[in-house]
Amino acid sequence: MSKSTMNENLLDRYQDYRTRRFVSHQAKTAGSLPSWRTQRRRRSLVVGLAVTFTFMFAVGVLCALGVNWAPLLWLPACAVFFPMWIALQVVSGRQGDAPEAALDEYEVSQRNSARSIGLTVTQNLMMIPICYLIIGSVSTGGTDQNMAYAGGLMALTVLLIGGCTPAMILGWTRRDLDPE
Amino acid sequence: MSPVRRGENLPIHNRIGVLRAERRMTRAGLAALIDVNPQTVGALERGDHYPSLDLAFRICDVFGLPVEAVFSRTAFTPLSAELYGSHDAKGRT
Repeated sequence: MSKSTMNENLLDRYQDYRTRRFVSHQAKTAGSLPSWRTQRRRRSLVVGLAVTFTFMFAVGVLCALGVNWAPLLWLPACAVFFPMWIALQVVSGRQGDAPEAALDEYEVSQRNSARSIGLTVTQNLMMIPICYLIIGSVSTGGTDQNMAYAGGLMALTVLLIGGCTPAMILGWTRRDLDPE
Repeated sequence: MSPVRRGENLPIHNRIGVLRAERRMTRAGLAALIDVNPQTVGALERGDHYPSLDLAFRICDVFGLPVEAVFSRTAFTPLSAELYGSHDAKGRT
């Protein structure tokens, strides 16, 4: 057996495992939060996440300004973020990070489109903490601890935004079932 | 619309909604037969998604019709008009 065939088999086996795990998880959560599966409710979760991300970024800015208690604000932000994120994943069927074999062709095209936008958003927003850290480190001679901490929080926020964007787009755009 | 590049003036019309209603089939019922999500059937009927050749054949198999009877580049006229319109034309001649 050639090495490339072995690698393909390994990749196929891993994708099969991912698909089985995804389908099994989906079966468990398919009936959860039934009243939150409407487009209106999904959109309210997306708006809630967007507000949370704005708050997280503001926490980063407060840390950059040297406000001592600002890092503590990250905890309530996380306390709001995780339930909303998990709820959005459950009610939107986790299509943003679903393996291809678990989706049909329309869902795959929608997921790929949302992921592409998510990647672009991440790349563009990541320029903010990168520029802040590069310029800040040069201007302070690398001695400002607040700047490094704030840069880390900003980068973490941007990564969360980028990671959540596909699910947020799909949750926002996916229609309710058409009436028969 | 599915996010792929396609000719601007090359739409694919379909009769899925009519054929489904004719057979008193729900979207979920058709979706189960062709192994897709019911929302995908809705997207096909609205023209938001053009099916792959594989999916088009699966749909045609369910209805027992050739591809050209279900999909067309030009808009379909109502089935009743196609049937009775030609009958009226014969009657007039």
